[in-house]
Amino acid sequence: MFSSRETGGDLWSLLEQHGHPLTRQTPVHQADLFASPNTLEVHGTTVIAVKYDEGVLAVGDRRATANFSVMYDKADKVLSVDDYTLLAISGSFARAMEVVRYLRTSFKLFERTYLQPMSLEGKLAELTKVVRAGIPEALQGIGGFIPILVTFDLEANEGRIFFYDGMGARFESTEFGAAGSGSMQIRGIFDYIVKTKKPFHQMSRDEALQEALLLLDIAADLDAATGGWSKILPLARTITAKGIEDVSEADLRTVVNRIEQGRG
Amino acid sequence: MYTPYDINEAIAHRKDYVEEGLRSGSPVVGICCRHGLLLLTVRRSQRKIYEIYDRQMFAAIGKQSDIENVRLAAIQQAHQEGFERSPDDVTLQRLVGFGLSPTLKKAFGDQMYVPVVIRALFAEMGRTPSRDGFYTLNYDGEFRHFTGCAVISGTQVSEDKMMEVLGETDKNISIEDAMWNALTAWAAGARELLTGRRDEEDDLHSPLRVSDENAEIIFLKDELKTGALEVGLLERRANAEVRFRLFSEIELKPLLLKLD
Repeated sequence: MFSSRETGGDLWSLLEQHGHPLTRQTPVHQADLFASPNTLEVHGTTVIAVKYDEGVLAVGDRRATANFSVMYDKADKVLSVDDYTLLAISGSFARAMEVVRYLRTSFKLFERTYLQPMSLEGKLAELTKVVRAGIPEALQGIGGFIPILVTFDLEANEGRIFFYDGMGARFESTEFGAAGSGSMQIRGIFDYIVKTKKPFHQMSRDEALQEALLLLDIAADLDAATGGWSKILPLARTITAKGIEDVSEADLRTVVNRIEQGRG
Repeated sequence: MYTPYDINEAIAHRKDYVEEGLRSGSPVVGICCRHGLLLLTVRRSQRKIYEIYDRQMFAAIGKQSDIENVRLAAIQQAHQEGFERSPDDVTLQRLVGFGLSPTLKKAFGDQMYVPVVIRALFAEMGRTPSRDGFYTLNYDGEFRHFTGCAVISGTQVSEDKMMEVLGETDKNISIEDAMWNALTAWAAGARELLTGRRDEEDDLHSPLRVSDENAEIIFLKDELKTGALEVGLLERRANAEVRFRLFSEIELKPLLLKLD
């Protein structure tokens, strides 16, 4: 008489029942694969996540681009999904926003239905599901997006970083993760920092923040779609055992100034 | 085919069946206070107060499986709406009035189904305290909106008595006072359910009939020996993701100490 029990606390099947576009598979046509990518979308980014002694720090630039245009320079690419989970997004902004909303609702629906929070594995699988569902569209040049999931594992009492590929495969990183058009250019620098200075997880928040912002600055220099900090400060959030916190603008400004002074 | 007479009789039978099932349900009190909204009840074994959505919670009396079905339906509908539109669009007005009530009405009128045995109380925290409210929803789909406070119980007489005890409510009272008011209202309602039953059985010598001022307290203490106090709160916090929480035993201790 009421809702069907099979869907229970699963948002995906609930949406599928009602034919929501998120769950609808777009067929891929051979010809589309060779077509030029659609230019209407907003993407291009660098997002970075690094561990530090108390948890994880996630930093993202604020620029949203569509092809060669800068569409928006106050984009928020590090988004909270629940009290202990952040999603740093790169790629199609439209799709990423929908995915973040999907995850928020899905985690809450599960917890409220079954009266227990979704496990970390469960949350990661949910993200895989939505990334994978976007493959046909991504192949046609629209809606592709790659997330980094950052969370604080209360049981293990440590921060954790998971990065994904376009197919939805998930990898756990021990120290750092980066995604977006500017991430390839800076990949090697992470290793250089770990090998010449110290592992990120031994740094204080401000040390880690300084490295992350410097990495972001280099990415902005080398990638046209990544915004620097000359106009608008990047966005930084941390997750610790106490939950998610924004790094204040004053703290960001201090670190940016320190980096600029260091250059002489 | 039914004649009109048959329909009346059939509905009366169904009503009797449901009312009988509801009669022994432990009352639930909903009340507003400065901190937010409270739902209070004394439960036996099963948990009774649940979160529905960001600003909504719920408790019900009736058959456990029916309660669970309505809870699930409310949660699913709220989350689907919240995802497809916005969490701001999830309101009890829509949830109860457009979703649950018509389904219950249909179930009650359909002779092919066993009637749903439920009486539910929903609480909702508005954007401003003036928009806080409660909805009661009945097995036949009837629903009512309340502000300030609301109750559900096994009988109409018991509900009336509880509302009488709650009286004029001040939305600005502290959470402690609100809990105390709710607890005394619960006691009045639960006691009425018992005495009402005794009246039917013509047991004039029951100790419950003694109209002593302390009798209410004694009764309440007695009930709390076998039942557990359960209080759910929707907290008035501006930007929090989660506003609902159940009080822990330790948090409820000061309230119970007031009885001694």
